[in-house]
Amino acid sequence: MDRKDVFFYQADDDHYIPRAVLLDLEPRVINTIMGSAYSKLYNPENVYLSKHGGGAGNNWASGYSQGDKLQEEVFDIIDREADGSDSLEGFILCHSIAGGTGSGMGSFIMERIADRYPKKLIQTFSVFPNQDEISDVVVQPYNSMLTLKRLTTAADSVVVLDNTALNRIACDRLHIQNPSFSQINNLVSTIMSVSTTTLRYPSYMNNNLIGLMAPLIPTPQLHFLMTGYTPLTSDSDVNNQESFNVRKTTVLDVMRRLLQPKNMMVSTGPDKTNHHRYISILNIIQGEVDPTQVHKSLQRIRDRKMAQFIPWGPTSIQVALSRSSPYVQSNHRVSGLMLANHTSICSLFERALNQYDKLRKRGAFLDQFRREDIFKDSLDELDDSRETVDCLVQEYESATREDYMQFSEKRGAGGTVDSKSEDARSAGSASGV
Amino acid sequence: MSKTDPVRQVLANLILETEAPYTPDGILREFLAIHDKRLSVNELLKLLITISVKRPNFEEVTAEIRLILKRKDPMYALLVFAERYSEDGLSLRSSPQSNDMTSVTNSPLRGKALPDVHASMASVASVSTACTSRGNLADTESQGIPTSTPVNSRRSGDPETSSSGGVFARRRTLQPQRHQGSSKEERDDLSLIKERVLNAVSSPSMSTYRSLTSEAASGKTASTLNTAAIPVVTPTGVPDEYRTNLLWDYYKVDANQLPKPELAAMPLVSQQQVILDELLHCLTGVRENFVVPIAPDPNRVGLARYETVFTVHAHLDRSLAELVQEVLPLASHFMGIQKIVTATDGQGQVIDSLNEALQELTYDFYLLMVQAEQELRHQQLTIQKLLYYMQPTLWVMEEIWTTLVDIQLNGHRGAAVLTLLHERIKRLEGDRSAQKLIIGLMRKAAEPYMQMLKLWIQKGVIVDRNQEFLVEDNEVIHRDELPEHYSDDYWEKRYTVRRDQIPAFLEKYSDKILRTGKYLNVIRQCGKRVMPTQQMHLEFDPTSERHVTVINDAYYFAARMLLDVLLTENDLMGHLQSVKRYLLLNQGDFSMQFMDACEDELSKNVDQVLPMTLENLLGLTLRLSSARNDPYKDDLHCELLPYDLVTQMSKIMNQKEEYWQAQQRLDLSGLECFAFNYEVKWPVSLVLNHIAISKYQMLFRQLFYCKHVERQLCKIWKENAIAKKFSPQAAELYRSAFTLRQRMMNAIQNLEYYMMIEIIEPNWHIFIEKMKNVENVDNVLRLHQDFLDSCLKNCMLTESSHLNRGIFKLCKICLKFCEFIQRSQRFFLDAELKSMVCDSTYDSADSSDSEPESSHRPQLESSLDPADTFSERVRRFDLEFTGLLISFLKQITHMARKNTADRFMNLVHRINFNAFYSDQMDKLCVKDAMG
Repeated sequence: MDRKDVFFYQADDDHYIPRAVLLDLEPRVINTIMGSAYSKLYNPENVYLSKHGGGAGNNWASGYSQGDKLQEEVFDIIDREADGSDSLEGFILCHSIAGGTGSGMGSFIMERIADRYPKKLIQTFSVFPNQDEISDVVVQPYNSMLTLKRLTTAADSVVVLDNTALNRIACDRLHIQNPSFSQINNLVSTIMSVSTTTLRYPSYMNNNLIGLMAPLIPTPQLHFLMTGYTPLTSDSDVNNQESFNVRKTTVLDVMRRLLQPKNMMVSTGPDKTNHHRYISILNIIQGEVDPTQVHKSLQRIRDRKMAQFIPWGPTSIQVALSRSSPYVQSNHRVSGLMLANHTSICSLFERALNQYDKLRKRGAFLDQFRREDIFKDSLDELDDSRETVDCLVQEYESATREDYMQFSEKRGAGGTVDSKSEDARSAGSASGV
Repeated sequence: MSKTDPVRQVLANLILETEAPYTPDGILREFLAIHDKRLSVNELLKLLITISVKRPNFEEVTAEIRLILKRKDPMYALLVFAERYSEDGLSLRSSPQSNDMTSVTNSPLRGKALPDVHASMASVASVSTACTSRGNLADTESQGIPTSTPVNSRRSGDPETSSSGGVFARRRTLQPQRHQGSSKEERDDLSLIKERVLNAVSSPSMSTYRSLTSEAASGKTASTLNTAAIPVVTPTGVPDEYRTNLLWDYYKVDANQLPKPELAAMPLVSQQQVILDELLHCLTGVRENFVVPIAPDPNRVGLARYETVFTVHAHLDRSLAELVQEVLPLASHFMGIQKIVTATDGQGQVIDSLNEALQELTYDFYLLMVQAEQELRHQQLTIQKLLYYMQPTLWVMEEIWTTLVDIQLNGHRGAAVLTLLHERIKRLEGDRSAQKLIIGLMRKAAEPYMQMLKLWIQKGVIVDRNQEFLVEDNEVIHRDELPEHYSDDYWEKRYTVRRDQIPAFLEKYSDKILRTGKYLNVIRQCGKRVMPTQQMHLEFDPTSERHVTVINDAYYFAARMLLDVLLTENDLMGHLQSVKRYLLLNQGDFSMQFMDACEDELSKNVDQVLPMTLENLLGLTLRLSSARNDPYKDDLHCELLPYDLVTQMSKIMNQKEEYWQAQQRLDLSGLECFAFNYEVKWPVSLVLNHIAISKYQMLFRQLFYCKHVERQLCKIWKENAIAKKFSPQAAELYRSAFTLRQRMMNAIQNLEYYMMIEIIEPNWHIFIEKMKNVENVDNVLRLHQDFLDSCLKNCMLTESSHLNRGIFKLCKICLKFCEFIQRSQRFFLDAELKSMVCDSTYDSADSSDSEPESSHRPQLESSLDPADTFSERVRRFDLEFTGLLISFLKQITHMARKNTADRFMNLVHRINFNAFYSDQMDKLCVKDAMG
């Protein structure tokens, strides 16, 4: 029995309309959507395009300011949807952190939602920029830093979608040389869909957003989650050898694969000191699974020490067995998604810090930021963001150690560098339960 | 022999009276002696005078005897002497009881009686001659009737109707003769006896036999008079009750004194003729002269009670005597059988039926006798021939006799009889003919039982007046009177097997038989008509297993039908799914929504909770949540139990009502008392009966409580999330609280995971898999019960382990902590957020000496407890919680070591997945070991 009303409301017998709000400052992406087969899916009143249509110019500050200016119109839509929900539990935001609209306006909207709905949860699916390719957005490090601060302080949980890893998976695992946006988006949508499957196909546990998030996030700051998925196959892959092997998977196979870095949607780089630890793990396993296998698999993982856990608290691999959608054809008997809180996520923030510091040191590309209200008087906001992110990195680092409980951050000096950004999508959508 | 002689009796009485130094035998010897050795007449007379001196009429008698002695043989005189004294009956006054009877019975029969009884014997013979045609018929059919078993000859004989008609006709022709001959009233008694003899000889079936006996009992007053006059103990020593006044049983008719032929004086051929005649009578239970039963010892036990021992006259030729001795056991066995048959009459259907079969055998036996007698009349019978004829019958009779005695001695009735017969059949494996006979007997004896069985397995009806059937109907109350608990007991208690009433050959199938009828009854109670599809031929046959097939067919039919009714028509699995959805929280979104709606109401004291409000909220939730598509959602109701889970457990386990009713409900919150109830109708209530629902409720309450705790923890998680806005230093202060909360969350969630994912779901999975191959409703019940019990046990809800108290305590401490954090929340919110505004860069994290801290924090702490700081309170909670958890885990580990079959250990592995608690557990171990 599935619950369509988690993300949709029923318009008539055959039509369900998502409780989604599409926002953008320039028409390109939204026009693509409205020109696609899914155009009729959305409520047109929930699609918002800024009137001047010039976008944010990949500038966080511009997006943030525009968000401020447009907030009344935007919150008309969001409030209407929130009021229309029977029991609103929270908001899910999808955005990128490196561009202008997703990061800037997304940050602004997120902060406002947190203020207006303090009792509701905010979860984000945040796309991190691809580190492997040179981005044409030079201020990407600034944008990232500023967004990361908001993600740290305003969001309750952030699912990190690392474009680096997504591209790598597309190339290495799916054998696509130059993955298109739609191929990458396919991966992202799979993850988003599976991570909410326990809400939509309710069973014993994890039936609400908070029940899903709370056990994963022990202390409020450590709320950046990474995901893993198996089996990874593309449509063209169906007939080749690998997918054939994959189809014979057992629960243990799935759980073991989910622990392999190559299946992670976050590229953390090599952990040279091997000190990073899992803070928590939730495996959502779909398909025909014998529930009696779960325990055996867990025992095996425990006995073989396949996963390293933090030493300062009890953690385990939670397993949620869920049905898969009867409407989506799958070649696989069993598939699994891992939602994990792993300390190595901080390497992403370190990387962002490094790039930021390089740019900030040179004081490069700051003019376009100074043009906006928030940076008119000073660039303190930038330094403040850097400090927040630095604290976050320290917190994650200390979480690998036994004395985490006694740890306190040292406030370091800020630095300045520069960067650029590029991203797949920039539609912030709010949805409630 | 001597004891039954009337002359001797009279003499003995007289001797006793006068205390003369003589014995009856001694006197007789004197009178019988040959002329030259005899005493003189005077001496003989003197002898008689000595013993009769006390008689009032002794002078007249003495005078008469004197005259007789002078003219006639002394023996004649003695007889007259005896006659005179026995006639006046005066001996009664002083003689012992046993002699008493003799004289009484003697007197009315005296004189005429002798020839008359003789005539009756003769008439037996005449009947046998009259039977010639029939005998010849049988002869022509098979020359060797006597050699064949009685049963066989019976089976192969003419149709009953014709033969019985013949017998009636014969009897009618005989009756006028009798009446002519009998002038006195007592003649009627004799004629009755004759009729019985006749009847016993020729009766084709029990019915005529019975009608005659009833005629004898009611019709003739004289006969009752006569029987009334018969003393309690017969000369043979058989108590009168066993005789049931119908059996000859060598009953001593004292006047039946044929002048005894002098055996020694006869040639061997004549001896044989006489002894054959006697033997034939003896075989039918008639007392004779030369072959006389020894009076049995009244205290004998065992086999001997039904055995008659005979003495053969000493003057009989040795060779003949030997042969006679060989035939005599047959007489003993036959009479034993007759005795048992009459004694057991009316002791249940099985015995009655067996007796009926035995009567048929008796008839066959009499037929054999008649044929033998016929040959005897034609001078064609020799004792060797008789023995040869009788040999097979002898074996058969012995077998029947021992079997019957076995039954009788063990007091077997009903099924036990069948069991015994069945054993006999098996034991007789080598002896075909005897086996065949017993099989025949058993088939017949089993008839009423099989009839009952047939009714039961075909229609579910019990007609069993004598409590012989293996199934017992314990209906006490009607279904409508006590609907709530009716289903609980129905299945187990309504119909039960009487363990002692199962025939051995049905032992293996007793369960199936019980179920078959039970299923049929349930089907009928569902308002469906039970249509027996096949015509059943249920007859016991030890040689074939046909009855097994019939039972199996009936069983599968009933099982399949009820299973259909339950699974298909009443959608049992759908109901179970619903129960699992709500009572086992399988539909998490529903339980979440319900908790959202009812949280306020349920947090009140149970006495203030309004059940109507709950019911309304439940209805609302059911209609708003995804449960609205469930067809059985209206079966779900709220229930507020007046006791908490721990008490409910003892209720289930001990079934002691007082125990839980005495409990106070003052300090219980609505949440602790709340449970869903699921109400179903017959026949689903068979499976989802009160007990099953109670078990579900126990699981529900544990899960619900854990879920509630989890929700509270999630709530403070959300509220604590505000701390991410705090300065990092402040965050550190709260980190201990956060990690404690996380540990609690971990424990509670893992407990839930364990119960739901590792226990309930796999067990359900197994249950569903097994249900696919289920064959009958008992199976369904058992599987369902196994499922529930396994869940209860592994969810630590069994009384023996007090683990669930540990769970309860853990939950309590978590709730207290949540409450504490919530109370503190607003204070530290104020403190931290203001301090951030005042001084966002203060460097000291030490709360005690920082300015903003001192202004806000002490305030918050003083409101809680002046002595404690926030962090200290958290530490105390930490200690308490960790202590409880560790001891809980320890307890599980300890139990797991004893019983490796349980899955409790999985929970430890789960909670302690990354070995976080291992050190502490080890420490506790060491401490335990030391202390």
